[in-house]
Amino acid sequence: MGERARQALPSVLSVLLALAVCWLAIALTRDADTATRAYLQMLWGGVGNWPAFLDGGSANTVLRPLGEAAMKAALLTLTGLSVAVAFKVGLFNIGAQGQMIWGALAAALVGAHVSLPAVLHVPLALLAAAAAGAVWSSIAGVLKLKRGVHEVISTIMLNWVAVSLVDNWLVIGPLRAVAEGASSITGTAEILPTAQLPRLLGDGSRLNLGFPLALAAALGVWVWLARTRSGYETRAVGLTPEAARAAGIPTLWRAGGAMALAGAMAGLAGAVLVLGTEGRYPGSLGAPYGFDGIAIALIGNSHPLGTALAAAFFGILRAGGTRMQLLGVHKSFPELIQGFALLFVAGRMVWLALLERRQKRALAQARPQVEVPRA
Amino acid sequence: MLEVLHSLLFSTLDAAPALVFAALGAMLSERAGVVSVGVEGMMRTGAFCAAVAALAMPTPLAVLVGMAAGAAIAAVHGFLSIRWRSDQVVSSMALNLVAMAGGTFLLESLFGPNGTPAITQLSRWNVPGLSHVPLLGALSGHAAPTYLALTLPFLFHLLLSRTPLGLRLRAVGDKPHAVATLGLSVAALRWGAVLGGGLMAGLGGAVLSTAVLDRFEQHTPAGLGFMALAAMVFGRWTPLGAFAAALFFAFGNALRIGLASSAPWLLDLVPQGFLLALPYLLTLLVLALQGQRGHAPAALGTPYEQESR
Repeated sequence: MGERARQALPSVLSVLLALAVCWLAIALTRDADTATRAYLQMLWGGVGNWPAFLDGGSANTVLRPLGEAAMKAALLTLTGLSVAVAFKVGLFNIGAQGQMIWGALAAALVGAHVSLPAVLHVPLALLAAAAAGAVWSSIAGVLKLKRGVHEVISTIMLNWVAVSLVDNWLVIGPLRAVAEGASSITGTAEILPTAQLPRLLGDGSRLNLGFPLALAAALGVWVWLARTRSGYETRAVGLTPEAARAAGIPTLWRAGGAMALAGAMAGLAGAVLVLGTEGRYPGSLGAPYGFDGIAIALIGNSHPLGTALAAAFFGILRAGGTRMQLLGVHKSFPELIQGFALLFVAGRMVWLALLERRQKRALAQARPQVEVPRA
Repeated sequence: MLEVLHSLLFSTLDAAPALVFAALGAMLSERAGVVSVGVEGMMRTGAFCAAVAALAMPTPLAVLVGMAAGAAIAAVHGFLSIRWRSDQVVSSMALNLVAMAGGTFLLESLFGPNGTPAITQLSRWNVPGLSHVPLLGALSGHAAPTYLALTLPFLFHLLLSRTPLGLRLRAVGDKPHAVATLGLSVAALRWGAVLGGGLMAGLGGAVLSTAVLDRFEQHTPAGLGFMALAAMVFGRWTPLGAFAAALFFAFGNALRIGLASSAPWLLDLVPQGFLLALPYLLTLLVLALQGQRGHAPAALGTPYEQESR
């Protein structure tokens, strides 16, 4: 087995085991048949109902679920990358949520109040979101590097500040959309059509440019970390700061850069949410994508591509999870699966020990005569 | 003015215990070298189990059940991080997720989405003679956890700084190899700290559902666990520091709610979002001014291995 496969194996096994445990949980509370059908529903809801489609169903039976899954996967990939990049330099970014909030707000403002052709409008909105996220995470970065403030506490505080200022003031106050007609709108003004991320599969599916964008981001981060000098130095700082400093690597710059990049990724997640699906900064972001990013990054072993894979998988589960409700199975099962998967990732030492024990036993059985009694 | 101050103090003392207990629990675990990002999950479990137990038994007993539940979750963390030397951040975060999703699932399948039925709250105590003294009167009329929260930090301080056990606990978080050299068990000490931390976090959660509210709700504890973590770091991993920080956060919260209800004119001048953000901004400012280098236990987050020297 290659070294890479060995690295990824615990995560894959953990996810499978989590699936099994949750299947068992449904089977015990309901019955085995319901559990299996719920999982099938989840699968159809995540990757498309192919049997129905091949049976002559409309293309939407496939495109719609795929679009939902890809949309969720894009957000999880970007917030996962945010956490993963910070991990690479040894920082624990709990603040992806707050960075995402500012990114979403920046994208909503540029999207609604700047008029440009789409070719320029979309990139500008994305750039603004990335910059907003980066600025917000850099506060924590600077506090850590200049004043030694623990990033866990500063990012938690910055999350609360972001929620307070944006959700409880700006969005319901000065930036609130002017109500058109009788309908009362929560959130900021609607973005202009030129700022919308183009839909990739037509109007039947919400899949938009955000998904390839997230994949490109993952690929970009991976190339940067694995193939460039500054990426290599960043990883070195994360592994052993003292050695990195002794080797002449500008540790402060690398750590600060990684933290800013982490914020930019989370900011992009906010932009994808606003420009891709919401069309405006909604009253609040809805789901705690930033916190989910922590789990996604950890299951993905903080590897950019692993993170994207984990995000894709859980995007499918999340999108399909809503379908389970049709069978009366609770909607929080996808999250429960995510939690258990992470728990089993944490238990990877247990796996390894069990594997080792089995290997030893197999070895002992294979050649018992080799053992020489010691004097 | 005096009345406003009085009600601010009163609601601070009502809200603080959950934070104080959870912060003390996190501190206990981290001083022994085991990361405690999982307090949120332990609080949630404690809050849920206490509320459910209170449906069947007297509320004070139910609080004990909540504590035990917190310790049970902590035991999983201990098993993974002490016995199997897992990544402590991963296992903590996993427990948070499981507690979050599992709590929602259990709540809705047992009671429905609106929370558990109402339970009997912990009874409030009136301190004789204090009720009518200005300001100090705010000390009267709280449930037992408040008074416990006002004393426990000092006991923890004495335990950590004045007893051999406290010395060993601190040492096991800073230099576990030295502790092992003395013939003491690193694992046993860490287990004790993690389980004790779980008891405290469970208590913090139980306080939420039995004293602050009268039920367990979907969003309990709504990030308070992370606030407790922040309080612990803010308090530089010391019992009294964590205590002061927890009181400060609780006061900030009371200030926000209190000002909104007692001085609505203020909201015309200052947007409520600013008031909400104020405690957190102040925390950041204080931290930025004082700096915070080198207060975390030296061996925090590193699994102990006998051979690793």
